[in-house]
Amino acid sequence: MSTLRFLTWGYWLLTLALFAATVTMVFTYTPVEETMGVVQKIFYLHLPVAINTFAAAAMVFIASIGYLWERKAWWDDLAAAAGKITALLCAVVLLTGMIWGRSAWGHWWTWSPRLTFSLVLFLLYVVYLMIRPSIESPQRRAMVCAVYGIIAFLDVPLVYLSVKMMPDFHPSSIALAPPMKLTLLAWFLPVTLLAAGLIVTRFTLNCRLRELGERREEEAHQPATEPLGGIA
Amino acid sequence: MKRSLQQIALLVAKDLRIEARGKQTVGLVIVLGVLIIVVLGMGLGTGGPGAPMSGFKSTAILWVAYLFGGVLCFEKTMAVERQDDALAGLLVAPLDRGALYIAKLLSNLTLMFVLALVVTPVAILLFRFDLSTHPWGFVIVMALGMTGFAAIGTLFAAAVSSTRLQGGLLALLVFPLSLPVVHASTQMMRKMFEEGEALSGGGLATLLAFDLMFLALSWFVFELVLEP
Repeated sequence: MSTLRFLTWGYWLLTLALFAATVTMVFTYTPVEETMGVVQKIFYLHLPVAINTFAAAAMVFIASIGYLWERKAWWDDLAAAAGKITALLCAVVLLTGMIWGRSAWGHWWTWSPRLTFSLVLFLLYVVYLMIRPSIESPQRRAMVCAVYGIIAFLDVPLVYLSVKMMPDFHPSSIALAPPMKLTLLAWFLPVTLLAAGLIVTRFTLNCRLRELGERREEEAHQPATEPLGGIA
Repeated sequence: MKRSLQQIALLVAKDLRIEARGKQTVGLVIVLGVLIIVVLGMGLGTGGPGAPMSGFKSTAILWVAYLFGGVLCFEKTMAVERQDDALAGLLVAPLDRGALYIAKLLSNLTLMFVLALVVTPVAILLFRFDLSTHPWGFVIVMALGMTGFAAIGTLFAAAVSSTRLQGGLLALLVFPLSLPVVHASTQMMRKMFEEGEALSGGGLATLLAFDLMFLALSWFVFELVLEP
């Protein structure tokens, strides 16, 4: 087994072990919240995933700037990988938020500023994934996606400002008991490791797929060297 | 500066002259806008015969008409440049690419304002929408919103004009990015026409921030997206 493969396995095993430890922590060490009960525990997953969504979106932004600056294809591969994980994490934020909201407000969905904000963020990055296969030329695809990736990230504070105009009942700050705070902090570790691991894995795969595509194209353009045997 | 302004004026005049001769885009977007208003008006209803539609609903329907009409304008003004490779001629001309962007933006805005000039009175007539409470608030919010929307639309119309799936793709790109503009302006309309509040400074600042940021960014990257 090569060192890289060994490290990869180690990384994923560590992430899995940390997830198992934090889940155990939530159900054994952390107290049950009085008003909401067990459903409140979803918050320990919700907040770290939300923060990681922003980090992944920031990575799309940085990789997009990198592509426009250097025009190297691997920047686009990185942006595509981070874009995919942003959409995935944002879907988790939306789902966990909806489950929390169902218990807190009695509805799966309310047009509160933060829910709207998450939905718009999700749509922005789902569209980012949808436009990629729609553009055939790799250079043009990378260019359009880089511009989109930059604008989408700059859109985020404006979406936040615009949704602030709506009436709000989402909690802006939550008072947590010390064990709850510790559990929340502990959850950041596996979630961040998972997000980073997924981005790196997807990035490596994107690079390989691109190299394979380039090699196939080169082969297709090479003139046939073998003589046509058997035809007299 | 004077030279750039002259270039912009020439380019806008060229676009509008082509439009005046062909009358393809304006006719199309106006008919589409009126159809959207009729269809959404029927779907949402006015609350029974004799009852006017609420100001908030009316402005939201108008926004939908402006958005779809706008996307058609962006596509058409850029498609003109792709015909007979006219864009190649513009690119080799001693023109500033920033001037080209501003010119396309102004052409698009002119077409969108023409659309608004026809479609808004139709909405007022059909929905009995009372604009008299905040007429200038409506004009300012819509003008700022349209400018931000057109800033993004013009940029991406140039970026995707040479790709397949152009029509659907442009709407897909532009709609989510312009959601803050649509959202901020509909919230401001709600406050003005439903809650009777005055035009809010915070909302205007959001719209202005959006316009300025996207105008500056689009102007900056327009040259890159025009590359073949």
